[in-house]
Amino acid sequence: MLSIKNLHASVEGKEILKGINLEIKAGEVHAIMGPNGSGKSTLSQVLAGNEAFEVTEGEITLNGENLLELETEERAREGIFLAFQYPVEIPGVSNLQFLRTAVNAMRQHKGQDEMNAAEFMKLAKEISKQVDLDPAFLKRGVNEGFSGGEKKRNEIMQALLLQPKLAILDETDSGLDIDALKVVSDGVNALRAEDRAILMVTHYQRLLNHIVPDYVHVLAGGKIIKSGGRELALELEERGYGWLGIKDEETADSSVN
Amino acid sequence: MKPAPTLSTAFLYPAGQSLPKPLLALRKQRGTALVDMPLPTRKTENWKYSSKYLKLTDDMAISLPAEGKTGSSLAVPGYKVAFLNGVMMPEACEYPDLDGISIQSFSDLSDEEASDLADRLDSTLDNKAVQMARLNSARFEDGLLIRLKPEAVLDQPLFIVHEVTAEASGSAFPRIFVDAGRHSQITLVEEYISSGSAQVMVNTVTEFNVTEGANITSIRLNMEGENVQHIGSTGVVQQRSSRFESHTVGFGGPLRRHDLQVRLEGEGAECKLNGVVVTQGKQHYDNHTTIEHVAAHCNSEETYRNIAADQSHAVFNGRIHIHQDAQKSNADMNNKNLLLSNGAEIDTKPELEIYADDVKCAHGATIGQLNEISLFYLVSRGIGRREANVLLTMAFINELVEQIPVEAVRETVQGRLNHFFEQTFQEA
Repeated sequence: MLSIKNLHASVEGKEILKGINLEIKAGEVHAIMGPNGSGKSTLSQVLAGNEAFEVTEGEITLNGENLLELETEERAREGIFLAFQYPVEIPGVSNLQFLRTAVNAMRQHKGQDEMNAAEFMKLAKEISKQVDLDPAFLKRGVNEGFSGGEKKRNEIMQALLLQPKLAILDETDSGLDIDALKVVSDGVNALRAEDRAILMVTHYQRLLNHIVPDYVHVLAGGKIIKSGGRELALELEERGYGWLGIKDEETADSSVN
Repeated sequence: MKPAPTLSTAFLYPAGQSLPKPLLALRKQRGTALVDMPLPTRKTENWKYSSKYLKLTDDMAISLPAEGKTGSSLAVPGYKVAFLNGVMMPEACEYPDLDGISIQSFSDLSDEEASDLADRLDSTLDNKAVQMARLNSARFEDGLLIRLKPEAVLDQPLFIVHEVTAEASGSAFPRIFVDAGRHSQITLVEEYISSGSAQVMVNTVTEFNVTEGANITSIRLNMEGENVQHIGSTGVVQQRSSRFESHTVGFGGPLRRHDLQVRLEGEGAECKLNGVVVTQGKQHYDNHTTIEHVAAHCNSEETYRNIAADQSHAVFNGRIHIHQDAQKSNADMNNKNLLLSNGAEIDTKPELEIYADDVKCAHGATIGQLNEISLFYLVSRGIGRREANVLLTMAFINELVEQIPVEAVRETVQGRLNHFFEQTFQEA
């Protein structure tokens, strides 16, 4: 489904990704782990098409289609979904309006009729229950005044509404308490499907206890330096990143948000 | 040195003579005073940013004829009054006989009523600050007098449509005087629209005498065409414990100027002034507001937002004057601005004059651009770039639009703004 070959990318002239190779097939769940500053978030942003990042070399294809030629919104319509590490607050645009506009943009792309307000409200209420968000939040501004956990649940709600082909979860577990982690994980597990792939980007392995990956990759210095099965995550949990010859710069600034 | 330009004498001759004698006399007197009136230039402080947009040619001096049909663009329930080129059109008005409320054309007033009105016209405005309002006083051909008896409550909004038909060049001078008795209540919607494409000027004056405990809501929608220069002045005088709330929504034009002056003369009076302005192309819009805290214990709250696209130009000048005896005044003024292009210009200026020592007075002004990260968030969900830009731009003013207390007006305004921004982002 997703094929990344020799991907190099930089931000403000500084090279962050230095030759990533990754193949993800439909139905698979991949986890990318790595220390802060290793390029995990950059990879997510590049996949989603953030123009602040420049791809200098390599290719990305989604089901054979060159992703790099598509604008962010076109990638989204082709099925790329990025759950943001830091979801954006947009006062003045209601969640309801935002979600309905997004869903209808997708439907239009697929040649389906737009959903009217009443139909959409019904759907949105159902899914908000699934991620344990009070439907009253639909009337509030996008992520406005949401707690960290509510923002992450809103991201998962969007994934459930938009039904992407590839869902990229960028540090979706950060800032979640154990109950919220359960809700978010259940949401992600509900997304698992034969025709869908999930790419989780995470610093810690605790999320992987709830969402069990098929493959785990270690990203360091802008390259994938080791790949394995689920056991690799457990090994990282136990031994840290040091045994792979890299420093876990816990306190170092992440290169992007 | 070039002499300062003065108002052409062509502008000094009103056409219609159908007003009652006292008003004709008043008009004549005001006209005489206008001889050699200097026109604002960029050296005129309160016209600094707008004088270059003012273009009065002699062919615009004639009064536009008061004939033809008029119709509101608002299909909304409520009482209606229609003005065409500054003259009331009785056949297009719809309102029942109302208990304690009279709604009359100036032309229908008795000499006695007209004499009383003549004494009060212009009384709410500081004519030095609103030079151009004096032209209205010299030229108005009709007007609307609304009188509310004590305790009278208008149960539905009153829509006043001011239409100009610009078939040929000319001017119109609509005028409204609202006399709100003690504890009376009214919601008034002024809608300014136009048809035709000749160069015209609309010069309006609206005055509110808000007596003790009265509660006025005023909505002003400025939606005239690209050929209409609009110069509007609104004066408000408030007595004890009264409330005045205004919502201004303005779309840009070749010249759009609105002066809003509020005098809080009685203790415990409060006003809330909201304004939304959008400009695109080479349009212009200038809001000048003045709040005079004359009495103690009054509250004023003012929130204006401008959005300027392309090469357009928006101006906000907010003056708050707290007089020496106005202790315990509470004034809050906020102006936020959004620039949608590098070529657009917004000038904002708070002017605070405070002579009392025990007051709360806050003001803030910001100018910014659309947030790239918010835009990325929206498009990453498949929302088109243009739609995302429109959503974010609407978000900047939604908070104010949502406060418009008449649902039908609110929805119409939202639709118009959406349409306006869709045009703005057409290229994107």
